Amino acid sequence: MGIHFLLVLNRQGKSRLVKWFDNSYTNQQKSQYISEIHRLISSRDSKNQSNFIEFQSNKLVYRRYAGLYFISSIDLIDSELSYLESLHFFVEILDIYFNNVCEVDLVLNFYKLYYILDELYLGGEIQEISKKKILDRLEYLDSLN
Amino acid sequence: MQGQLKHQSKSQFKGLNQFILDLKNSIDQDEENKKINIEIENIRSKFNHNSLNGYQKKKYLCKIIYICLLGKSDIIDFGIKECFDLINSNVFSEKKLGYLAISVLLNNDNSKVSVKEKFNYILESVFNELIKDLKSQDEEFNCLAIQFICSVFNCSEDKVVITDSDSNAQDWLEIIDLVYACFTSPLQKTILRKKSAIALKLLLQIYPEVIISNNNWTPRLIKLIDEKDLGVIISSLPLLTFVLNLKPQFVKTIIPSISKHLFKIVVENKCNPEYYYYEIPAPWLIVKLLQFLEQSFLIANKEGEQVLSIDKLDNQSVFELRQVVAKSIQNASQPIKGLSNRNSQSSILFQAVSLAVFLEASPEAINGAINALLMLLNSNETNTRYLSLDALIKLFARSNSNYLASKEKFEENLILFVKLLNDKDISVRRKSLDLLYTICDISNYTSIINQLLEYFPTADFLLKSELAIKITILAEKFATDSTWYVTTMLKLLSIGGGSTSNGVGFISNEVWERIVQIVVNNEDLQKKTCSKIIIKLLKNPNGQFSENLIKVGAFVLGEYGDQINNIEDLNINIQFHLLFDAYFKVSLLTRAMLLSTFLKLLVKFPNANFVPDIVDLFEIESQSMDLEIQTRAHEYLKLSTLNTDFKLAKTVIKPFPIFNQLENPLMNRLGSVSKIIGLNRSRSKSLVLAQNIANKPVENSFSESLSNNWYAGYHRMLYFDAGIFYEDQLIKITYRVIKNNFDLTYIFTILNKSFKSIGANITSFTVLNIESLTQKNNPNYIIGLKNIPNKTIRDKSNMEIQIKIRNIIENNESPILSLTFQCGGSFNQLNLKFPVILLKSLTPSQITVSEFQNRWTQIGQLLGIEQGESSIEIDLSHRQNYSNIVRLLTRLGFYIVEDLNFKISGAGILHSQKSNYGLLIEVEVNEEICKHLRIVVRCTGGGVSDIISSTLKEILGKL
Repeated sequence: MGIHFLLVLNRQGKSRLVKWFDNSYTNQQKSQYISEIHRLISSRDSKNQSNFIEFQSNKLVYRRYAGLYFISSIDLIDSELSYLESLHFFVEILDIYFNNVCEVDLVLNFYKLYYILDELYLGGEIQEISKKKILDRLEYLDSLN
Repeated sequence: MQGQLKHQSKSQFKGLNQFILDLKNSIDQDEENKKINIEIENIRSKFNHNSLNGYQKKKYLCKIIYICLLGKSDIIDFGIKECFDLINSNVFSEKKLGYLAISVLLNNDNSKVSVKEKFNYILESVFNELIKDLKSQDEEFNCLAIQFICSVFNCSEDKVVITDSDSNAQDWLEIIDLVYACFTSPLQKTILRKKSAIALKLLLQIYPEVIISNNNWTPRLIKLIDEKDLGVIISSLPLLTFVLNLKPQFVKTIIPSISKHLFKIVVENKCNPEYYYYEIPAPWLIVKLLQFLEQSFLIANKEGEQVLSIDKLDNQSVFELRQVVAKSIQNASQPIKGLSNRNSQSSILFQAVSLAVFLEASPEAINGAINALLMLLNSNETNTRYLSLDALIKLFARSNSNYLASKEKFEENLILFVKLLNDKDISVRRKSLDLLYTICDISNYTSIINQLLEYFPTADFLLKSELAIKITILAEKFATDSTWYVTTMLKLLSIGGGSTSNGVGFISNEVWERIVQIVVNNEDLQKKTCSKIIIKLLKNPNGQFSENLIKVGAFVLGEYGDQINNIEDLNINIQFHLLFDAYFKVSLLTRAMLLSTFLKLLVKFPNANFVPDIVDLFEIESQSMDLEIQTRAHEYLKLSTLNTDFKLAKTVIKPFPIFNQLENPLMNRLGSVSKIIGLNRSRSKSLVLAQNIANKPVENSFSESLSNNWYAGYHRMLYFDAGIFYEDQLIKITYRVIKNNFDLTYIFTILNKSFKSIGANITSFTVLNIESLTQKNNPNYIIGLKNIPNKTIRDKSNMEIQIKIRNIIENNESPILSLTFQCGGSFNQLNLKFPVILLKSLTPSQITVSEFQNRWTQIGQLLGIEQGESSIEIDLSHRQNYSNIVRLLTRLGFYIVEDLNFKISGAGILHSQKSNYGLLIEVEVNEEICKHLRIVVRCTGGGVSDIISSTLKEILGKL
């Protein structure tokens, strides 16, 4: 089903963006997953370990940017590298949109992140892959009233 | 400072920023909670005054969303009304925030029992607004409604299913129709079409009947793949995948368009510059399209057959796809700078390799790809090692590669794979395990399983359980030698380590349970297992022992230990003391099992020396703190002391019945590897043959071990052309013989009897062999299996065997049919002889009495009595009515020329490819209800009359 959920966690495990595309999780599962995933990923070393790990009969694809982990959960049959690079694409969009993005931008503009996600990964599926089109679209939406 | 300036300019709500930063600066959780509570009260009172403007409502709802996202959704019990105020606004930003807020609030509502209930509740709440916005002339409003649908009505497959009989089905339908219209209308802007493609997929997924029963939509949806806009294409792929899985007959039609897109981007390099990601054109689209094709080749129809194969594709598409794969592989070998470029290139490479197998690449090409991937296993980059392993798993599973066929190649690579089992990354370790599991076959299973057993003690805690399951499955699947199987499994259990006081260990219970099931179901394993367990336990009297071993021991020795009592070193006293010594070292669960074992020993050996020990133990344990132990001990004590003849106890411990589990329960616990591989193509076929754990029959040994009760069917088949061939508790085989001169067709129908009695399917039904006992050079008949039965038989399945009679068949040349199948946990093999005899080629020949007499004399003159005639006397085992004898001759193919005064004359023609023979017969009986027959046969073929008369003797003598 594309991406099941996308998380941005800082190194302490605080969530900076949480998007559950799959609506079948309970609130209890959600908070449990976040802490398990943080434990799992923060203990992995980036030099000798891959950016992929199985979790809950799916797989996590993740990458660290400064103090933040960008993590997405995808189906076992989906391409790890493709979604890994897609996370980078997302980060690049954020970087341009917020003009050199940092953790505080994500915290204060949390609701805007959902608007941005709706232009990239609607319902967990890849909706658009042209950086220019996405940025033009975001600019246009900001211009509406 | 810069950050501060930046977000102030971008963020609209100062108060919100302040609130967030304020919370962030809290010293501890208490302070944060306090601040949140104050804010909630503040917002609540603000909402109670009805005078808020849109900006204020937005600001406060943002704060509420933020509080919900902090995980405090349970304290928010208001704000729904304000959400609807905003959704109903005509101001875009208000409507947008309204939808976001309502999706967060409704989604966090934990009061709904099931996801379906939640979905229905959300639809009901927002239905009117959604309809209004979907119908709006403002496409941005359409977009907002569709985005809302995508963010709330999405869940992994099959969890929510709406059906036509649901009371609100009409509401769902109305929404789906509107979304469908947004998607398919050529007038709509691409942005709306992209979004509605995704929304439509999600909606159809929860209400699949809409698309299943609708034949008009599918062709229109399929056409959308021809779209020019790459965004529309990539957003439509999930929808198309979903629909084509439901309607596999359309898969073929979509392939040419996908090939064209790929060819254009990958080979011709034609792509809008907007879609380049660094130097690579549309990498995500390429990967998705390649993956779409890969998955298309895996789609199976209801009969389990793959709907797509290369021979069903047009030449143009095949050409284009092969080019695409070749070019992708070639591109990957070009050096390229930058991680993003490299990642994109590799993602395309690995996806292309996964597809290559289906494009009927030559064996050389496949082996070339395997070789290249094996080299990548030595890469310094962990991602590369991981992905290469993944690609290798798919390649080996889906191709019939002979890459590892030679011993040298296999051993050389085994070293590499074992090295990767010890990689620094557990993801790589897990993939290596999956790879070894995948390449395991009948030729290499012993070395692979030995490697895995050796690896077991050092493997991660997390991997041990998976490892044990894989070893168990492989051992069961490939074992041809029962001793090897038992030794291997007991080794696994003994190195499996101990377990906690709750009996939880690295090896899940299913593993030892499965071993027990197999021992119960295979009689020849029982003694072997008993002695092996005792020897294992004896070796290690005081040291560490495996609790799993004790569990199997408790069961197996209790059931079958008496079978080896006659072996001095393994006698029942030794068995008892081994288990008794273990008793206080094991968990409560195992102790409970041991108590049952002791009861069995006590009943089976009432006079043994250890009986007082057992009674003492029951007495002590009937005071146990543990309820289970206490209850058992108390009950067993009563059973063993109540009557001296253990009448009651004996009925309690009857021998264990055969397990009838449908399939190996461990298969469900196999983990991700089965999902990654997809359908097993050729590989599964080659594996199923070897499932009989009983000692593998040596070639040509079938004849020595014909199954019990084979003869009744064989005998019936000599003279009846339809009937029951074989029957036991599990299976019934009926037959029909269709005779066409020297061409015979035997149709066997295998009926699953076990389904009625124990609800089990017959699985892995295999025709192991048809052993023709005629000479190999210049055989007298040729036999061939024309139609094989299904592997899995729920009800019944047919098998067709064709026979051509070339020459005169002797009576001892009938073939043996060897079948194997599984039912429940039991392996079964049948070796059944069925008649292929010359008499089956007999056709009646209508001649007159005088012609009969003429020919009778002719044969006597030409061949003489020695060669041309055979006469026999037969004593029937039961009295037969004379008319029955006449009927029997007719059934065999004789024309009854004359039937007078208890004397019958018959005539027919025997057929073979080489020649035909006239056959005449005279049968004389002494009375109406006869017991004694005299038969004279004359045949134009020299010596043939002897063959026929002995066949008749076998038929009549045993009627």
